[in-house]
Amino acid sequence: MIAYLTKRLGLSVAVVFLVVLMLFSLLQLIPGDPATVALGPRATPEAVARYAEKMHLNAPVWQQFLIYAGNAATGDLGIDVFSERAVTTIILERIGFTLALIFAAMGWAMLLGIPLGCLAAVKPNTWVDRITGVLSVGTIAVPSFLVSIWAILIFAVNLRWLPAIGAGEPGDTADQLTHLILPAFAVGLSWVGYLARMVRASMLEVMGETYIRSARAFGLTQRRIVFGYALRVAILPTITLIGMGFGGLISAAVFAEIIFARPGLGKLIFDSVMARNFPIVQGGVLVATSLYLVVVLFSDLLIAWIDPRVRDSL
Amino acid sequence: MKKLELSRRGFLASGVAVGALGLAGTYPFGARAQGTELLRLRLDGDNQILDPGYMIGGTEVEAQKQCLPFLAQYKREGDTFGWEPTYYVTKLEQRDPTHIDFELTEGLIWSNGYGPLMASDVKYSYERMKGTDWGGYFDALDHVEVTGDRTGTIVLNKPFAPFFMVTLCHGPGAILCEKATEDAGGKFTTKFPAICGPYTYEQIPGQRTTFALNPEWTGPKPGFDTVTLQVITEVKAAELAYEAGELDCTELGADTMARYAAAMPPNSSLTTAGELQYMWMGMNTEHPKLQDKQVRQAIQHAVDVDSILAGAYSGTTTKSNGIVCPGLIGHREATKSYSYDPAKARELMDASGVTGLTLTLRTLNNQERMLTSQIIQANLAVIGITVEILPLDSGPFWEMGTESAGDTWQDLQLWTMRFAGTPDPYEAAQWFVSSQVGVWNWERWTDPEYDRLYEAGLVESDPEKRNEIYLKMQDIMEETGAYVWINHEPEAYVHGTDIQISSAPSGELDYRRFARI
Repeated sequence: MIAYLTKRLGLSVAVVFLVVLMLFSLLQLIPGDPATVALGPRATPEAVARYAEKMHLNAPVWQQFLIYAGNAATGDLGIDVFSERAVTTIILERIGFTLALIFAAMGWAMLLGIPLGCLAAVKPNTWVDRITGVLSVGTIAVPSFLVSIWAILIFAVNLRWLPAIGAGEPGDTADQLTHLILPAFAVGLSWVGYLARMVRASMLEVMGETYIRSARAFGLTQRRIVFGYALRVAILPTITLIGMGFGGLISAAVFAEIIFARPGLGKLIFDSVMARNFPIVQGGVLVATSLYLVVVLFSDLLIAWIDPRVRDSL
Repeated sequence: MKKLELSRRGFLASGVAVGALGLAGTYPFGARAQGTELLRLRLDGDNQILDPGYMIGGTEVEAQKQCLPFLAQYKREGDTFGWEPTYYVTKLEQRDPTHIDFELTEGLIWSNGYGPLMASDVKYSYERMKGTDWGGYFDALDHVEVTGDRTGTIVLNKPFAPFFMVTLCHGPGAILCEKATEDAGGKFTTKFPAICGPYTYEQIPGQRTTFALNPEWTGPKPGFDTVTLQVITEVKAAELAYEAGELDCTELGADTMARYAAAMPPNSSLTTAGELQYMWMGMNTEHPKLQDKQVRQAIQHAVDVDSILAGAYSGTTTKSNGIVCPGLIGHREATKSYSYDPAKARELMDASGVTGLTLTLRTLNNQERMLTSQIIQANLAVIGITVEILPLDSGPFWEMGTESAGDTWQDLQLWTMRFAGTPDPYEAAQWFVSSQVGVWNWERWTDPEYDRLYEAGLVESDPEKRNEIYLKMQDIMEETGAYVWINHEPEAYVHGTDIQISSAPSGELDYRRFARI
């Protein structure tokens, strides 16, 4: 297990290194002087010179990369072009909002999607299965940004049950949770469909296994068979899907963060791309990649913990 | 004592339970929090640099107006714009074309123990600006003479007619506390070193900015005790937030203006700040395909601007006839050398002998610009010109004609462009002088007479003469054949009928002058 963990961590570091290299190369490939590109064509020569010195742009490219990679390794992701604040600080201010959104979205999607998948699997080819199928495909097909707009129009503009914008009053947990409902609903809706379809497919396969038939022969209740035995096995590919889908959730969160005007990592990266604030783009993508790797690793370890067969093979 | 152990099954069950509890804890409630003293507005992004010397502009100017002293402020006079002294001065008079005397109001105090507002702060602030990114606004400043604790004279190195409107009323005219700014290292970004205004300033990055009553302020009390500005990047999201009752006032997009004109939300009013934006289609006079003036004139005659206003802007914008916006000295009522005339356009194309012309039209990739470009594409097809539309993100768009930013300027043929400015014609005119070729004069024409008139407009103080100068300058521009004037987009705001809003002609809101009716 420790060897496996070490190997995975090593691979993760290599991926992060490649991402840093790629991001750095992309900045070099942009036509024009990096300082002018970052500060815009109206920047004064003095401002361009100040920026170039601060960002070590006068050093050879390989040296710039080593400085950036070295600083990134110590948690120093550079300085915001405009406000001159530390990029690490700016990202830390936002990342909690994105994580809260992603976990809330995935949380409610799991709470609904997994039971729906089970229900469809234990009643295959019935009206329950068909309705579940239609609902699942429907939720997958509707883009999250559209769901966001509909959700605002229905629940905030027309009914005025829920707030439309922002992340809530700082320090007021209830208010912050209330502001989380609509974005989490919009981001998580398509995952209800994904999870239901995935769990149904896995469950149907597992329900045909001989040990399930044996369990039935021993007279165990359907509920015990489904949740005690079949789901434990059928959930494994779903956990992998959730882990792999984390990256996609960050993308979906960008739309939700823009439409609901929520602070977050995705919106920060988006705004920084638009403003050509490259230190934040680099830092944000680096942190998002690292997060993704951590979640994938965590999901793999979780599978190993849940399934002794996987654990023994590590 | 029993040891606590987490089994796999227990973990799964607990996870489900915690998730359910978390979601159960979120309860719906009425979205609108009412309060007579609270004003809720939109901010289109975090304020990055509050220092007037290094600011980006826009909402940073709005923040400065609440927290820093200014000598002059905009005043609306019917359909035109003027200026008036602010509360911060008891005297602001132009003694002669190069001397402006001022006397600061007594008893105004800087925060953080930095003492009273002094004439030396005015001297420090304005003379400091000359070496900053916004130094162009102070080119005409020679120095500020301090004649007493609260009195002084602004001395210009040459007569500069727009000094009040462009420099003193706008963001660069903000006055800083000399000692506080120097204590902060000579410049600052997201925090004011000291304030002297009705509101304090606090920003939670990515979320909101709050202006609360400044307990040390001795001037007139503003209309609202607290102003919160929610960071909402997209105009559409802000419009939805207004309709959901979460904002008291917000800017509108052109399509929403048209929708609201037909059916205004309940208890809402529409206020237009100004139309200080001018949009045109530009042509690169040096490009081989457009070097023939007759081709450019054919294009001028072929574009149906009225269709653009109706199709792309839902009739919410004003037709443009030049770079000087409505309400300003030098505004043109009509074009002189062209009008929509496809037959004349065909004649000009025939006379040029050019056939099978294919041109690229670069545009920003937003809805209105794309629609505008498509209408132009259809119009030019009528006279045999094939137009390929190239939508661009704001990054590459804003540097495509700049020589220092790459080689794209050499390929530039047609483009749609919109500039915004301050309420004086000088600012719009400055981008088209000879020295701006390859900087902002992407049409790349030069005319010594235009340059001469530009200099004359700066020093001329007679409004009638200035009017003639700027009309003549626009005639010269139009005669190059490099421009098809399109429109002036208004800065429009929707707000509750119980709120009176205050905005600069260029659209920046002045929260301290908002009032509950």
